[in-house]
Amino acid sequence: MPHRKVGAVIPEMFRQMLEKPTTEAYPYKPIQLPDRFRGKLDIDPEKCTGCQVCAVVCPAAVITMIDKGTRKVGDRELPVKRPLFDLSSCIFCGECVDNCAFRALELTKQFELATPNKADLIMRKAVEN
Amino acid sequence: MSDESKVREESAGLMEYSVENLVPFGPIHPALKEPEYFKLILEGEKIIQVIPRIGYVHRGLEKAAESRPWVQNMYMFERTCGICSFVHSLCYGQAVEGLTIYEVPRRAKYIRLIISELERIHSHLLWVGLMGHWAGFETLFMWVWNDREVVLDLVEAISGNRVHKSMNAFCGVRRDMPENMENRIVERMKFITDRAHYYREIIDTEETMLARTENVGNKINQETAEKLCAVGPMARYVGLRHDVRLNDPYAAYDEVPFDIVTRTEGDVRALLRLRLDELVVSANMVSYAVEHLPEGPIRVKIEPIIPAGEHSSHCEAPRGEIFYYVKSTGGRTPDRVKSRQPTMANIPTALELLKGQELADLPMVLTAIDPCFGCMDRMSFLETESHKQWTWSGEQLRQYGIKHYFPERFKANYSKFKEAH
Amino acid sequence: MIENLVEQLQTYAAQSNSRVSVPRKNETLIEVDQEHIKDFVSHLVNDLRILHLATMTGLDLGQNIGIIYHFFQDENTITVKSTVPKTQPTALSIVDIIPGAILYEMEIHDLFGVTFTGNPWINQKLLLPDDWPADLPPPLLKTTKPAEIRKRLHLEVEQK
Repeated sequence: MPHRKVGAVIPEMFRQMLEKPTTEAYPYKPIQLPDRFRGKLDIDPEKCTGCQVCAVVCPAAVITMIDKGTRKVGDRELPVKRPLFDLSSCIFCGECVDNCAFRALELTKQFELATPNKADLIMRKAVEN
Repeated sequence: MSDESKVREESAGLMEYSVENLVPFGPIHPALKEPEYFKLILEGEKIIQVIPRIGYVHRGLEKAAESRPWVQNMYMFERTCGICSFVHSLCYGQAVEGLTIYEVPRRAKYIRLIISELERIHSHLLWVGLMGHWAGFETLFMWVWNDREVVLDLVEAISGNRVHKSMNAFCGVRRDMPENMENRIVERMKFITDRAHYYREIIDTEETMLARTENVGNKINQETAEKLCAVGPMARYVGLRHDVRLNDPYAAYDEVPFDIVTRTEGDVRALLRLRLDELVVSANMVSYAVEHLPEGPIRVKIEPIIPAGEHSSHCEAPRGEIFYYVKSTGGRTPDRVKSRQPTMANIPTALELLKGQELADLPMVLTAIDPCFGCMDRMSFLETESHKQWTWSGEQLRQYGIKHYFPERFKANYSKFKEAH
Repeated sequence: MIENLVEQLQTYAAQSNSRVSVPRKNETLIEVDQEHIKDFVSHLVNDLRILHLATMTGLDLGQNIGIIYHFFQDENTITVKSTVPKTQPTALSIVDIIPGAILYEMEIHDLFGVTFTGNPWINQKLLLPDDWPADLPPPLLKTTKPAEIRKRLHLEVEQK
């Protein structure tokens, strides 16, 4: 038989009244994020060579390769492609970042991505230049 | 449920019941976190029998897995459930690793154990808070979920995300533990242990919780639980020593010492004590593993084509035993993936627990089995049922919604609405 | 712990023309015909005391549908396989030996179309909706394509 005691929660109640609230004051104050936080994707267009590995490994079909012409290698014409990112489908897993051999991709700390216009989330940095 | 007389014939082997005694519980109900449909057959206030109907958040994952490469399936199965996401990807990964010739490095096994146990702690804290919520004790719910933030902050510091950790890869883990985390983890685990002892005291002495949980739930004996294939805490709270971590160790569970928790009283209060004790055991395991972490590599890279064969694997999720079966024909995509979640195995036991109970105890008993119906269903069809008069199909519901919210679009597509109705 | 599990199973299997093999360490695979399946499961549960049925899996094998029973006992995995032809998908239910198998059989009935005689709830749908078209084949067979399921159930998403 358990012994019934009245008021087991009263000490905790006093302790909670004297502490400061645990609710974060976001968005009135900035929020603390750890180093490894996975936010919005970013690409450095200088380093990208169009090897397509990121498009092949992405689990959410975010990356489409766009044709940007051809270049001559020896006496062959090879196609040149660059990636287009539709970040509204991104699941922030980081597979593209891990597999890019040229370190062109990075997951930043930006997480405020809500927008009424889906076209804002299409990243064309690598395609336009 | 369109024809009552047809239901009566088909339930051969069950008792006859009439429409007046049948109360539908769900699929949308304020007492349920996730949609499920239970047909309750009542006599006054007592429940005589329960017939389940599941599949309201079924997403077609087993069919979808047959057309995706192996690594992408790992991310898809991780998203079966939010609370037990890591153990899904771990079990799938172990089933596929058995088909290859590679071994998992030792440091990766320890990191897998640390994340699995942190997930178990956060899941049990979530559940204790929910039991307080359904008992009407909202304050307990708030306090427990405040302490759960401590664990989620640790997980975010290690993996980058609070819920879908994405730490698993085939034959290893993707990220190493950060520098100088050891002291922080050990101190936080001590804090969690102290809080768990305090909540145990509340549950044992506080009048509200005792009135709602003592002697609630049909008492079943060990033989019934075994025949109904109960898993996880539902088997351990009647005294069976069923724990995959002990019977068939995987990851680093053969090197980290622990003892499993069993109880013998068969009511909901025993489940509360069992899960809080398990929480303390998990916190000790995390502290031990972090202090004895071996050096070495964390991952072995494997080819994207898995050799032909069949393999299955099981793990201990916070809710019970999780099971994955994988069949490969030597290609880039699997031939068949089967996943069985613990809530599906616990449903026959849950139905047994409800017999003879009062209707008012239904939310407490249903939450006591720790249901995760998002895990259990794996294919989604829009479905709605309205009792007694008419049933709408998915298309009818969709057209009705369009008419309600977008009147101008509805006018343009009026022909589709007429056709559906 | 069961000593000589493989030898005991082989002795029993020889009576009923079943094949026992060991694909990996601690794993035993047994292939049984449909007419002997109930005796075999009853021998496992009642004589050898291997009580924990993890789940039942359905497989599409071209001409046949495979039904796999997964049993676990400490560190041993015992897998029992049986097949039924697609032209006559009827199997025997083991609900009278293991009552907990009732939902697994209902799931295979919904997703593959196999009827288990002896299961009291077999005619009730577990997962599929009430308005599943009668002429659409069960979803997990290889011949049923996801695009066809989406079209028949009006689940197309309008592309903007």
